[in-house]
Amino acid sequence: MRSALRWLPGIALLVLLVAGLEWAVNAGMIRRALMPPPSAIGDALWDLLASGDFVEPLFATLRLVFAGFAIGSALGIAAGVAMGWWPAAYRLLEPLVELLRPIPKAALVPALMLFLGIGEAMKITSVALAVFFPVLINTLQGVRGVDRVILDGARTHGWGTAHVLRHLVLPAALPFILAGMRVALGLALVLAVLSEMLSGQGGLGFLILDMQRSFQVRLMYAWLVILAVVGLALNTLFLIAERRALHWQPANRP
Amino acid sequence: MTSRLRNASGFALVLALLLLWEVSARLGWVASPNWPPFTAVVAALARDVMTGEIPLLVGGTLWRMAAGLFAGGVAGVVLGLAFALLPFVARLFAPIVELLRPIPVPAVIPPLVLFLGLDDTMKVTVVALTVFFPVLTNTVQGVRAVEADALAMGRTFGIGALRRALFIVLPASLPYILAGFRIALALALVVAVVAEMIAGEQGVGHYLVMMQFAGRAEEIYATVLLLGMLGYALNRGFLLAERRMIHWWFALGRQSDA
Repeated sequence: MRSALRWLPGIALLVLLVAGLEWAVNAGMIRRALMPPPSAIGDALWDLLASGDFVEPLFATLRLVFAGFAIGSALGIAAGVAMGWWPAAYRLLEPLVELLRPIPKAALVPALMLFLGIGEAMKITSVALAVFFPVLINTLQGVRGVDRVILDGARTHGWGTAHVLRHLVLPAALPFILAGMRVALGLALVLAVLSEMLSGQGGLGFLILDMQRSFQVRLMYAWLVILAVVGLALNTLFLIAERRALHWQPANRP
Repeated sequence: MTSRLRNASGFALVLALLLLWEVSARLGWVASPNWPPFTAVVAALARDVMTGEIPLLVGGTLWRMAAGLFAGGVAGVVLGLAFALLPFVARLFAPIVELLRPIPVPAVIPPLVLFLGLDDTMKVTVVALTVFFPVLTNTVQGVRAVEADALAMGRTFGIGALRRALFIVLPASLPYILAGFRIALALALVVAVVAEMIAGEQGVGHYLVMMQFAGRAEEIYATVLLLGMLGYALNRGFLLAERRMIHWWFALGRQSDA
């Protein structure tokens, strides 16, 4: 209850801004062609929601984000554990990773389009690539940070490598891995939207750009609101999942 | 000797992969116009740099990046200081900031095109928006980490609130702020290129899309390579500058990844 009161001024300001925008547009201070009144955007949004037209593009984008995120995370964790655990793997792969990591993944989208066309494969690959590196780097850090004494203890008890990795190293590195995945989730959404825009087909990203180019400004803003909600929801859900997965951790996590 | 050989395994792998690339393209193992040999890509890069075409495009992109970095960075630091020092400001603006933050950047480009057109203003704004959030978050964290003793000392000496903010809080939170800028720097380059890809006819991003439409694989790889090197150089340069600006922080034995 008190926390709700705490944010009251901010929410009041938000409402005030939207109302002010509505007034300013209706008073002719902002051109309608650029910024329709919020109520008109609300109507367009309601039409999309009520007719169910939002479902297909929304799921197209979400499918992309989830597929790319899952593939990139799985590969990133696997490579990170290997590099963090076996020094030989680290020495072998580190120069390659350092060489590929600074390449902006967004700039790779045109190159990927040459090979994979403009379909799902290209989009999922670009999302997975963007996810891979932050997850890899964080996993590596987490695995390297595992307490040596605990590892020696496990060895004393005769644990095998697979057992140690599964039950000791992975849980200990989990806060780092999840922090990397949290950053990667934001990147996944960015790359999904970008590759939809550049390929000229697909879900929310394509629609926002297409509505702007065909001057259907209300719909552009309506789709943008949907995308913003998706971003906020994904972020919030991940934070909740992260907190639950790490409930055993003290508060000072990375 | 053996240890040096073992350390060389990583470089050997990189060389082997490059060799594989070269050979597979030359001998036609990968029969595709999209798979030019590595040397051809390097040659294309050298050619485009020599003709002055690429340096001009890169210069434009870097300029827009720098302008956006400056604008977004200043806004992030100022609002971050205000958020951390004046709780009421935080309560007033935090909901708006948190609503805007998760919107993926490419999606704000179409509405900004409506208001600001296709040229520099729009692109600088997109970069500034991207830079703003990490700098803001890190500034708030940095101010929270300022030692209470330092502030109490300032108060004891009768230093006013504004001067305390500028001369005690700001320098003490600088390591965090710089860490935010380092994150923002990498994002800024990417977002500048992304904005150019989506709208307008400027810079490296537009060039990439043009080359893709023309099917000029060599130029695309050359540009990607160049952007990678540029990103790496910017990060290295920033790390060096960071070392100089906050040497006292490292002298205390702390890490740059605060």
